[in-house]
Amino acid sequence: MKSVTDTDQGQVLIVEDDVATQRRLARLLAEQAGDDAGMAIAGDIDAAKAQCAERLPDLALVDIGLPDGCGIELIAWLHASHPQVVTVVVSTWGDEETVLAALQAGATGYLLKERDDVELSLALQSIRRGGAPIDPFVAKRILALLPAPPHAKNAAKPRKATEPSGAGLSDRELDILSLVACGHSNRQIAELTALSRLTIESYTKNIYRKLAVNSRTAAVFEAKARRLLR
Amino acid sequence: MRRRPPALLAAWLLAILAIGTLHAQQRPGVVTIDRAEAVPAGWHDDTPPTTGWTPVTLPDDWSARWPHHDGVVWYRLHWNQADAAHPVGLLVNEVRMAGEVYVNGSLIHRDPHLVEPLSRSWIKPQYFLLDKPLLHAGDNTLTVRVSGLADYQPGLGVALVGDPRAAYAQYHVGWRMRFQLQLYNQAIYLAMGLMFLVLWLFRRRDTIYGWFAASTAFTAVFEWNNIAPSTWPFASTDVFQSWNMVSYIAASVSLGVFLLRFCRQRWPRTEAALWIYTGATVLCALFAPHLLGTWRFKLALPAVVLYYAIPLAFIAYTVRHRQPERVALAICLLIPLPANVHDVLRFFEVIHDRMYVSGLTSPLTLLGMSVVLAYRFAAAMRRIEAFNVELRHEVDAATSSLAGTLARQHALELDHTRIGERLHLVRDLHDGFGGSLVGAIVTLEQSPPTPETARTIATLKELRDDLRLVIDTTTHEQLTDLAGLLAPLLHRWDQRLDMAGIDGRWRLDALEGLRLGATRSLDLLRFLQEALTNVLKHSGASRVDVAVRRLGGHLHVEVRDDGRGFDPATRKTGGAGLASLHARATRLGGHLSLDAAPTRGVAARLDFPLAT
Repeated sequence: MKSVTDTDQGQVLIVEDDVATQRRLARLLAEQAGDDAGMAIAGDIDAAKAQCAERLPDLALVDIGLPDGCGIELIAWLHASHPQVVTVVVSTWGDEETVLAALQAGATGYLLKERDDVELSLALQSIRRGGAPIDPFVAKRILALLPAPPHAKNAAKPRKATEPSGAGLSDRELDILSLVACGHSNRQIAELTALSRLTIESYTKNIYRKLAVNSRTAAVFEAKARRLLR
Repeated sequence: MRRRPPALLAAWLLAILAIGTLHAQQRPGVVTIDRAEAVPAGWHDDTPPTTGWTPVTLPDDWSARWPHHDGVVWYRLHWNQADAAHPVGLLVNEVRMAGEVYVNGSLIHRDPHLVEPLSRSWIKPQYFLLDKPLLHAGDNTLTVRVSGLADYQPGLGVALVGDPRAAYAQYHVGWRMRFQLQLYNQAIYLAMGLMFLVLWLFRRRDTIYGWFAASTAFTAVFEWNNIAPSTWPFASTDVFQSWNMVSYIAASVSLGVFLLRFCRQRWPRTEAALWIYTGATVLCALFAPHLLGTWRFKLALPAVVLYYAIPLAFIAYTVRHRQPERVALAICLLIPLPANVHDVLRFFEVIHDRMYVSGLTSPLTLLGMSVVLAYRFAAAMRRIEAFNVELRHEVDAATSSLAGTLARQHALELDHTRIGERLHLVRDLHDGFGGSLVGAIVTLEQSPPTPETARTIATLKELRDDLRLVIDTTTHEQLTDLAGLLAPLLHRWDQRLDMAGIDGRWRLDALEGLRLGATRSLDLLRFLQEALTNVLKHSGASRVDVAVRRLGGHLHVEVRDDGRGFDPATRKTGGAGLASLHARATRLGGHLSLDAAPTRGVAARLDFPLAT
């Protein structure tokens, strides 16, 4: 277990204005990665950008409500200027509007402060291993965003798992989203898809990435269209 | 159908002949005198001239002999009376226009006006009972002084002498047929004309009623000719006759227009020409009545042709464009044809019958046409009524549909407002209270652990979990069904149980599309969360099975673990958790049953009806 965590994200940036939460996240990270984990803490967006200039983190945990702006701005900035940084949004209750906005801005995961330490720890572990947790409501919202509802299971001719479908998501990815949205447990999904949990969570991360790419292309296209109109 | 016209034609020819022979029948005991002598005289000659008598045959029209003689012609008839002991009846059939009747030199009758405006004596026969001493045995002389105008068929009809009863019977037939029948017709025409006039006045758009009324009214005026005893209200025979002509022409034109309208036709040019023709005769009647009188046959000819051509054209049109109303009207128009032909021939003196017979058939025609029009009117009313009923149905349907739409819209708006308010409240909750709650837990967890803080943390976490449920149900209740609401709870507990080393198994059956409403959904979620919390905290189980299934109108919920269980009799490990589960079950209107035994785990079963 430890060998996996050690090789992945080294430097972690915590962007959080609440001191207690800063401490909590740092503690959980330290518990996982040990003392050798490089950790930086920023209390606002400006400080976070300064930290990035100093030393670019591998993983950034970004709180939504920051004193000098919204965490989503920082996520978008990171995604645009340092796409190699894995950003995770930290929200207290994780209402889907916020989570979705963060995912579209480029976050590849989210953490909920209301969760118990063990739960957060599990999520962090998954993130550090290259996965991304997801829950039914978020899965449902992502499905609703897609242009055509997935009918992968009902389709007359079965497509290959890797073949892309609506919004660039593969059938496998759509299957996973549907299963999560339906409230199936992780074990059930693993049984149904014959994939390991880790694989499933990396699929989720891919889904988030595509979501950010799609929303960015859409935004670029829209901007171009507006300029043309002008 | 093709063979019928010749058959009908034959029938009518027979009818014309029958009408012709109707009056030729002679009653026994009565002698018809059709030989006479005639001599013209001045308007004011009181005694017949002694010379210049010419033998004539009755009925006589002197205009053929003395074409321009306006004034008096004396007629002298003789009959031989074998026996003067019994009175005899004398019938003077027709005096054109007015006259005096003498028997053996004695005056027995004088019409009121023997000079213009002349009395119109010809409208009915005259009957006299003759007795001694006026009546002689042997030769008797009947002298009739006739005042007439050359233009209006002046002269004398036959005379009948004989048994008073027989003569009177003959007179009575003539009187009834020539006068009384026309009087009745007059009344019928006027009544019908007025009725349809009123109908038209109330429904101006239905012009056919107007034209029918006009045609009928003009016919009534024309028929006045047959019963008017004097030229009143006109000053002379010429004027009377010219207006009579005008009314005939107007009646014909109106009938034509009526039939056109009945066929939904409009011939503007032809109609204009007809009205110009009518107008011209009106002008003529106003300014040159004598001219109209003199030329009336020729002037009336187009109207006569019209009067018969238009019904024939209508019948032809009906044969081609058959329709019940038209067929009925065509039959009505066919009825009087023979009589009309007879009368036209009589008018132009082609046949010398004594009377016009259309009076017999015209009321039938008129009644028939009235029935057709009344039927048409009733049919239109029925259509309108049916349309009204249909319209009312449609309006009702539209109204109720609109009301439904509005109600739904209103309900939807209410819903939207309510959801908006609720979401707003939830946002406030998780931003404010929720944030503080989580903050407090984090702070307490970082403080030095004591039993006191551990208890507080546990309580705060319970509050936090409950808030999570409140937020989830409130935010998503409108968007998803019960399965959708259960999904995050199961997802989360799956993780928790997993971390606690408990194998969690879920089973949801037939929950698709099921909605319990926010309150009951929240109660159910709380029930499950508390049951699972109990399992997590107290059971020491290695496996828990959660089942939520819909069966009929009920929802069955079961949370079963394989933990250490408890003795239901003592309820040692029950405590506040179980009391809370019972409270939830009661709120859901259901029943909680606990199946528990030491070392055999606990099964909490909740069963509640879906309908509230």
